[in-house]
Parts: sequence; C-alpha cells; structure tokens
Amino acid sequence: MFDQVDFSALELPAAARKLQQEVREFVRTELAALDFKPRLGHTEFHPEFTRRVAARGWIGMTWPKRYGGQERSYLERFVMTEEMLAVAAPCAAHWFGDRQTGPSLLRYGTEEQKQRFLPAIAHGECYFALGMSEPNAGSDLAAVKTRAERVANGWRVTGQKVWTSWAHKAHAFFVLCRTAPDGGNRHEGLSQLIVELDAPGVTIRPIRFMNGHHGFNEVFLDNVFVPDEMVVGEVGQGWKQVTSELALERSGPERYMTTFPLFTELVRRLGNAPDARAAEALGSLAARLWSLRRMSLAIAMTLDPGPDSEKGTPGITPGGGAPAATVDLATEAALVKDMGTFYEREIIDAARLLCAVEPTPEATDTFEHYLAETIVCAPVATIRGGTTEVLRSLIARKLLGPLK
Amino acid sequence: MNDRLTEMSDVRAMLIESATRLFADQVDAKMLAAAKQEGWSAPLWKIVEAAQLPLVSIAEDAGGAGGSLSDLAAVLRIAGRFAAPIPLAETAIAGWLLAGAGLKIPAGPLTIAPVHGETITARKDGARWKLSGAIKRVPWARIAGHIVVLAAGPDGALVACVDATQCKITAGRNLAHEPRDDVVLDDVAVASGLAAPAADGANLSTLRARGALARALLMAGALERALELAVRYATERSQFGRKIGQFQAIQQELARFAGEVAAAVAAALSAAGALERGENAALAVAAAKIRTAQAAHAGALIAHQVHGAIGVTDEYALHHSTLRLWAWREEFGNEAAWAMELGRAIAAGGAERLWPALTRD
Repeated sequence: MFDQVDFSALELPAAARKLQQEVREFVRTELAALDFKPRLGHTEFHPEFTRRVAARGWIGMTWPKRYGGQERSYLERFVMTEEMLAVAAPCAAHWFGDRQTGPSLLRYGTEEQKQRFLPAIAHGECYFALGMSEPNAGSDLAAVKTRAERVANGWRVTGQKVWTSWAHKAHAFFVLCRTAPDGGNRHEGLSQLIVELDAPGVTIRPIRFMNGHHGFNEVFLDNVFVPDEMVVGEVGQGWKQVTSELALERSGPERYMTTFPLFTELVRRLGNAPDARAAEALGSLAARLWSLRRMSLAIAMTLDPGPDSEKGTPGITPGGGAPAATVDLATEAALVKDMGTFYEREIIDAARLLCAVEPTPEATDTFEHYLAETIVCAPVATIRGGTTEVLRSLIARKLLGPLK
Repeated sequence: MNDRLTEMSDVRAMLIESATRLFADQVDAKMLAAAKQEGWSAPLWKIVEAAQLPLVSIAEDAGGAGGSLSDLAAVLRIAGRFAAPIPLAETAIAGWLLAGAGLKIPAGPLTIAPVHGETITARKDGARWKLSGAIKRVPWARIAGHIVVLAAGPDGALVACVDATQCKITAGRNLAHEPRDDVVLDDVAVASGLAAPAADGANLSTLRARGALARALLMAGALERALELAVRYATERSQFGRKIGQFQAIQQELARFAGEVAAAVAAALSAAGALERGENAALAVAAAKIRTAQAAHAGALIAHQVHGAIGVTDEYALHHSTLRLWAWREEFGNEAAWAMELGRAIAAGGAERLWPALTRD
C-alpha cells in the first residue's frame, strides 16, 4: 500500500497554504453573515452559500477555465474541501456536481454536455444528484434494474432509484441503467444517462431519515424520454465510468471529517485543563485524524493531474481512457474510507463518554446538538459510498491476489 | 510537478533498495535465534556500519553520511521490517547528540541515556568531568562501546561520550530479548575533549521525542513484516478444503490489518519529515508514536489470529516481529502517555486552535 508515496516529503505547496487561509477566513465571515446554524450528519443544502462559494471560484476549481473552472490543483481542492468540512459548511447543493458529475463529464462527456453543464455547476446554478442505488441494487450496484429502451433520437427510461440525496432540489441526476439485457457479464450493458428531474414521467418522493430529516428520496422513472445528447460517454460502458473515479470519491476528507466539528466542540467543553482520561482521549483523536489526513493527502497529491493537464480531472491523460499515472490507488482509497468512517464514530463515543449528556433533538447548545445529530447519523458513513464489508473484501483481494 | 513532492527522490529510492537488499541478505532465522542468546548480532553490525547506515543522517563533516532525517527514517523502517538485532536507532540518536555538541563520533555501536528522564549530574573535576547517576533500562548498554549521556552540568545540559566499561551495567532485556540494561555511573571520569554543552534544542524532551520517533519507525517496519507473513500464510494454508484466505472472515481481518499498517507507515514517516522541516514536530512525533503503538496493538494480534497455533511457536518467524512490537510500543512513552501529553497541549491551545494545529504541515 502507498508504495510510491514518500510520506516524509509530503507537504502542502505554498499555493495550497495560501488558499487554506483564504477559505478559513471565508467560512468564518460568510457563515456568520448568513446567520447559518450548522448541523452535523446531514450536509445542509444552502443555495445562497453555494453561490458565494462559486463566486470565489471554488466549485469545479480544478476544471479547465473554458468550462468555468480555475485550473487549480487537486490538492487545492482538497484543502478547500477540508476547510468547509471543518466547520460543517452547507455544501450539499454543489457537492455531487463538484466531486462527481463534473469530473465524469470532463472525462466522458460530449463537448455540448460540458458547455451546457460545467459552467452552470461552477457558477453554483446547476445542482446534480446521483441515481445509482435501487431497491435491489445497493452494495451490488451491477444489479440495477432500471432500463432504457432505444427509441427515435434517444431512450425511454423506466425504473426506480432510492437514497437519491437532494433529488427534490437538484436539477438533474446521473442515472446508471441497463441499456442492454444482462447477457452473462453483468458489468456490460450498463450506461449513464443524464435525466432532468423535472422531465415528464419523473416522480420524486421523500424518504425521511429516522430523525425526520429529508435529504434522501426515491425517484420513479416512468417511460422518461432522454435524448441521445444526454448519454454520458459510451453506451454500454457505464460500469467502467462509474467505478473509475472511486479512488477520489473514497479517499476525500469527507470520509473522516463529517463529525470533526463535534471534536472542536468537545475540546471547548472540556476546557483548558482536562483530566487524564479526557486528555488521553483528545490526544488519541488528534493523532488518528492527523494520520488519516496524511494518507488522504497522499492520495490527493498522487492523483493530482498537475497544472499541465488539459482535462482537469485526476490521473487522466488528455486522450482519455488510460490513467496518466501508473499508480492505482483504489485500494488505498478504500483503506482511507474504511478507517475514516470508523474514526468519525470515535469522536462521537469520546464526546458521549467524557461529557455524559443525555442527547435530545431539542438541544440548543452547539456541542449537545452536534452530539444528538451525530449519534443518530452514525450508521450511515460505513454504508454509503461502499460498505465496510465490500471495501474490506476489495482490500483483501488486492492483498491476497487470486486464490485457488 | 507533484512527482517531486510525493514520489521517492532517486537518491532515497536507491538508499531504500540497497538497505533492503542488505538486511534481506544478512538477517535470517539463524541470526535472529543467535541474537536472542547474545543480545545482538555483531556480524550484522559490522556490515551495517560499513554501509554507513547508522550515521546516514549525520553531516559528512561530523563523520556521517550526509543524508537527511528522512533518509534515516527510511532505513529504520527497513531495519524494523527485518527485526535487525542491532542498536541502529540508538547509534543514530547518539550521533545527533554528539554532532550537535561538536564532539567526535566514535566508531562502534552507541547508545543514549537517560531514556526515562532520570538525572545524570556532571561536575567539573580539574580538566575532566565526573558523571553520576542511576539510569533504568538503557537500550543495548552492555554491547555498546560508548553511552552518550545528556547530563545536567553546572552551566546547563552537557553531552558526554562515556566509555561503557566505566559504568556498572546490570543486564536486562525487553520482551524481544533485546538488551535493556540498568546503568550506574558512579563518578565516572570523562576527558574534557569527550564532553561539551548540548546543542540548542537537545534536551531530555527532544531526546525522548527522537527515541519515540525511532520506535515508531521501527514499529511501522515490524508491522509491515507481520502483515507480509499473515498474507502469505493465508494464501498457503488450507483448512476445510480451501485456502484460509478465501474465507471472508479472514479477509476482513487482513484488510483491517492492512489499514493499521498503512496508518502506521504514514504517521511514522510523516513525523520524520515534520521533524526534518521543523514544522509542527511536537504534534507529529506524538501522533506517530500514538498511532504506531495503536497499530501494533491491533496488528500483532490479527497477525497471530490469522496464523493460528503455528504463529506462536519459537521456530516460526512471526514472533520476531510481534515481540518487538509489544516491546517497542512501551519504550520512550506508550500511546497513553503520549496521548495525554498531546491532549493537554490541545486543551491548552483551546478549541479554535485545534484545526489549525492539525493542518500545519
């Protein structure tokens, strides 16, 4: 693991350090100006905040300028993202567009798709959701049943997607569906289509989280027409496209930092002279976060396309297809996600055990309301984006090689 | 661009390759078994010393190889991986103390004292120094030619290169049978040319930090070896008609183990880089010792669990790694001691300083 990485030489370049200070200052003033009360567990959807982030050029910041990007390094995006997470900034509106849809479009999209969607995402005006999971396709994503039938000039899509975050507020979503019947190799015959969420035949119903929060939805697609121009990449290559960027999706700071603001509040609550037990817990939490961050940073740096990249998407050659770097960090990314999501719970447990608060949804104190929210949301992180069990199987396969 | 930042420099890659080859060629089951009896391997030391590995990070004009702290870190990780039974880390740290004080570094294996914060007093006696003190569990003292002591002199901290034969040494050992000896200095005479004021930044606290970092690096390597053995065993051993690595229960444990090892390597090497750059070193070293010791705890037990009864025997190689992990995690402060120290520093800094402290690379 991390064979090519020299951790001792890994440090943030000056540009990233400068950005770190800028974002830190930005969130301090903007969150105060918006009178925003942060929540933990569910990232909040806040179009006004998203517009202000966009105004600073921090959505799609690694993308080419001609598509509304800033051509900045992936490491700078890493720094920007972690600063947002550190204060639970409400990034849900631009989250998937910035992290997933944009890079996918850059890599696989047509020129027309890029021009239509990328600047709109970068300007904080177009929000994307992801249509992957289905009632019978969770960890086993290749089991998707939503199907698209060929019609004149496009496709007719029918099926059901679940756990679609923010579908009720997004403009469009990427739908992974079957464009050819399963002919034995389940990974063939899948495609990615862009479906606009106000298209005729689309019905969105809320799935409420156990604390009443509405972020998830189920989306029903009933004979929805999708024109050919909205096919992403190649018909039949959907599986490869969906899995190709997992290293980035799995290794980012959002995999270990979603409960970090509770850590900050825990330090505040414990005061400047904690007892031995509390001090030990704080030290351990800090050491573990610092170590995770070093791993996550290493992946971000290794996958960084660098300033010469035409595509603004990590590890990809301008010709498309083969990665520019020979390093495949999918396993390392899975490790970071696996450990990171468990780390997030360690913060929750330390907070509960050291402070002995009876949690209530009515809490007004910041520490107590973070605690109440994170306890309830704790099961989610080790499920979404690859369950612990699936990740560990993937890691073990890499370790063990083929066994007969 | 980023190739330069994250990928090995060619020089370091060559160092890693040659050191790995050296230890792989030299360290075998016979040597490790002999070292259990004799406390160390003198033949291995000769070869490693000839390759200039112990003083790799010491400036050339001070008698070293002119490399960086990160070079030393790379070497210690490899030494840990092969369970090299020699005082490599201690000689490197002794070299740092001596070079900082402008003293000549003698040939042969060296060690350092004190390692538990004890006080060694130094008083002037004519042209010589006289040193006194009782120090617990000094690593490798009985095989070291010199003990490099950080003593309390009348005008501040003094570095003295003490002839080990002048000290009263009571043999002891750690769980891996490495010498950890009690040392008494009873008015030991040191010629004036062998003692000098310690460099700025060389004190009991930084000495302990260097020791902790060295143990973190050794543990990272030992964890890598334990994982290699466990993975290999899972691909070779069959039960219930198939390789045990085909069982998901085993796979899940190995994956968890791989995560612990990766975290240990990342933490230990990152801390070496931080200390080399002088940035955020206190947090980095503490974090490295905490994280590697935690990984040692989880990793050693998974390694044994995967091996079943085979792994606990004296003839199978795993114990060379796991016994060292269990010994090293306690030395120079265990994870609880470092976590309390780090936690107190974080609390003293206050909530608003937490995130900036964690991200000051």
